[in-house]
Amino acid sequence: MKKVITALVAVVVLALMVWGYTDAAHHREEAAGHSENVEAGQQAGDEGKKLDIDVKGIIFDHLGDCYGWEVPFSHSKRIPLPIIVKGQDGWHVFSSSHVTGGDTFEGFKIAKEGDHHGKVVEVLADGTEVRPLDFSITKNACGIFISAIVVLIIVFSLKRWYARNGMKAPRGFKGAIELVVDFVYGDTIKPIMGKDAPKYGPYLLTVFFFILTMNLLGLIVIFPGGANLTGNIAVTMVLAVMTFLITNFTGTKHYWLEVLWPDVPLALKCPVPLMPLIEVLGLFTKPIALMIRLFANMMSGHMVVIVFVMLIFIFTELFNVFAGAGTSVLSLVLSLFMLVLDTLVSFIQAYVFTILSTMFIHMAHVHEEHEA
Amino acid sequence: MELFTPEFGLVFWMFVAFLGLYFILSKFAWPFIIKSMDERAELIDKGVAYAQEAKKQLDNAKAEADKLVAEARGQQADILRDATKMRNQIIEDARGEAAVEAKKVAEAAQLSIEQSRRESEKQLRQEVSVIALQIAEKVLRTRISDDSAQQELVEKYLNEVESKN
Repeated sequence: MKKVITALVAVVVLALMVWGYTDAAHHREEAAGHSENVEAGQQAGDEGKKLDIDVKGIIFDHLGDCYGWEVPFSHSKRIPLPIIVKGQDGWHVFSSSHVTGGDTFEGFKIAKEGDHHGKVVEVLADGTEVRPLDFSITKNACGIFISAIVVLIIVFSLKRWYARNGMKAPRGFKGAIELVVDFVYGDTIKPIMGKDAPKYGPYLLTVFFFILTMNLLGLIVIFPGGANLTGNIAVTMVLAVMTFLITNFTGTKHYWLEVLWPDVPLALKCPVPLMPLIEVLGLFTKPIALMIRLFANMMSGHMVVIVFVMLIFIFTELFNVFAGAGTSVLSLVLSLFMLVLDTLVSFIQAYVFTILSTMFIHMAHVHEEHEA
Repeated sequence: MELFTPEFGLVFWMFVAFLGLYFILSKFAWPFIIKSMDERAELIDKGVAYAQEAKKQLDNAKAEADKLVAEARGQQADILRDATKMRNQIIEDARGEAAVEAKKVAEAAQLSIEQSRRESEKQLRQEVSVIALQIAEKVLRTRISDDSAQQELVEKYLNEVESKN
């Protein structure tokens, strides 16, 4: 039975691919006339074959944010999401389906080029496009809420287990979650923070599970997942800022003393405050490193997978469908390998973010007796 | 590049989502989960300690029981030895007493036999003398007249009989 289903799925996928190829070939023939003038303008002195597909554009479209959520096997259909913008004349809320097709709705459209490429812009009376205050529930914003709900469900299911079963150890998925909680809290946060652990443990556990869920959801290609959340600098920035705020607002007097008047020879801090300057700089580089590390790791993982997949289409364009089909085997194997690696990276990066936050927060809680 | 410039709207929603998640979880879930896990860990530690203690006590009890059994065995052997000794002693004593008693009885019997023999001897002598007198009377009646020598002879025989006894 399983084999039959697998075979059916394979046949359907193959049929779709073949249909896609023939369809694309048709379009190319039809569009040949249009594209020639455009291309002629774009590339003077461009030698060799010019690719029809915009590889860079596709990759960055996939890594970036967008209005509406893509569905498999369609370039035009999207799951509509609300667009919330404040234009010149106040707030506008409408479905993204009004503008994703390229139309203008209530004076707003998605910019095709320029500085605001891919974003909602307001078309003013004189034809200029300005960026409104944009609070849209974009694909990434929606993904963030889905991740938050997934985390809530997971954590509360574990809580309910304890409330109902008392001392009995959870089994199955809940047991695995408990193992992760114990690994993060019992084996990492507690040994580092000691008596401060119950105070900051909830924050750090929330960070860990939120990042882990976002990382893993990003690896799933269809609807609930597929948004490149932790590979978006806005998301990692908020997380890093949180750690930064907690670190510096809960810091002890001694911590600030170490920053502003460190225990170094007087010459290094008196006439020219060299060491204090470096320390103050360090306050900011730590969260920035957190932000960049998570962002770069997750984004590069997604990018590599997309590039491997794009190879199929590049080879198809350069040679023919059969070359593309041959490449697809190699590409899929490499993509699969990268995705498996990304699963590991998802866990490691969530853990690294958490453990570093733990250490930063703990280092801000130095007391006199800890002084070496 | 677009990838490296944080979008304000997304920052806002991320901020909202994260704070919401943090407040809900830190208020209703994490402290409870951590407490439950700590409590269970403590319970398990206590259980293990209790089991170890119980095992130790059990081992002690076993050793104690073995010691008691060994002691009881020793006592049993002692008692048996004493009993054998006592039995032998009793038998020995009984034997000695019996021998003494038997000897006494035998002596008493011998004494009474001797006595009765003497008495019967005396009686026999009287009876014999009576009988002899009667015989002598009869002989005298028939032959007294003639022969004193014969009388002497009778006397002589009587003496002989007497001395023989």
